[in-house]
Amino acid sequence: MPMGKEKLIPFIAIAIIILGASANAYVYINQKDATCITINEQDYTINQLFSLTIPREFKELEFSGIALDALINKVGIAYPESKDYTIIGNDGYQKTVKWENLQNGLLTEDGMVVFSDLPKAFRVKNIVEIGVVLNE
Amino acid sequence: MNKKKLIAGIILFGSLWGFSETIIGSYINDYGMPSGAIMTGIFAIGFMMISRLLYKQRGMQIGMGLVAGTLRLFNPFVGCFICSAFAIMAEGLIFELLWYKLSLDLKELKPMSMKLSMGIISGYICFTGGFIVTQILTPIVSSAGFHIQNLIVFLPQILSRGLLAAIISGIALPTIFILKNIDISKIKDRVYYPTTATITIFCWVAVILNTIIMIS
Repeated sequence: MPMGKEKLIPFIAIAIIILGASANAYVYINQKDATCITINEQDYTINQLFSLTIPREFKELEFSGIALDALINKVGIAYPESKDYTIIGNDGYQKTVKWENLQNGLLTEDGMVVFSDLPKAFRVKNIVEIGVVLNE
Repeated sequence: MNKKKLIAGIILFGSLWGFSETIIGSYINDYGMPSGAIMTGIFAIGFMMISRLLYKQRGMQIGMGLVAGTLRLFNPFVGCFICSAFAIMAEGLIFELLWYKLSLDLKELKPMSMKLSMGIISGYICFTGGFIVTQILTPIVSSAGFHIQNLIVFLPQILSRGLLAAIISGIALPTIFILKNIDISKIKDRVYYPTTATITIFCWVAVILNTIIMIS
């Protein structure tokens, strides 16, 4: 016999609460420490990265930091223009961008990545990794 | 229901929703509060539910989402305005789909447990659905492109953040049912149209002025 609306709706609501609570627990357990940033499998502190490369500023957006394209060049990634880059935050939020986007991107002192040519959804806070992926 | 009255209602409630997202949402954001969950749980579900109760018409919430999303595009200074516009439009569509099978007089929702449950379901599905839609569409319209793995790894976060929207909406929706007995069709035209027009104009002017002030 099919379940009536009066039983089905509260059942779905309870299932949603359980799903949301489980996801909360999963996120809490898997939160990463943002003290180091891994680029091309090498760990750096934010101070090390700032000492490596040139500054960049987006006056209109009121952000300043270091240039992401120059940073990638400094850490020794070969043929950087032929690759994509996945920026990963400590909460698991990640965005994959192209080399052209990195040329309009900066890393702030508090570990946030900002792009002047991409929507705000591409801003990743407390980054823990910049992954290099081959452009398909 | 008179079609003209319904269209005025769609524009009115869509404008109120868009105004709230743009002006009130920015204050919530500035205070570092979870603006997405609060905006969906209280304002999005609130306005869509009020319009459902008052007008008792299917399809209205899709129209409201389109109006609110368009108004949100007029203020690019608060948060990710493209993402928000996509999310708002998606929320209107998702709400409509969720409530489609329920009767227009909502007699199924008489018990408190049903109101509470529909609040939880609506808040959660609208929030997480809107979030997922925006995570797909925003990269597509940008130069970076969409990468499915970025969405998959972030899904636990989206499902987790939806819990707050579900709880807020679970509390808000039964409260809104106080308005159930108001009959919009009995309001005289000479009161209804000037009132809806004035509130709608106020919402749009406020958002546009806010944008101009931020530019200057």
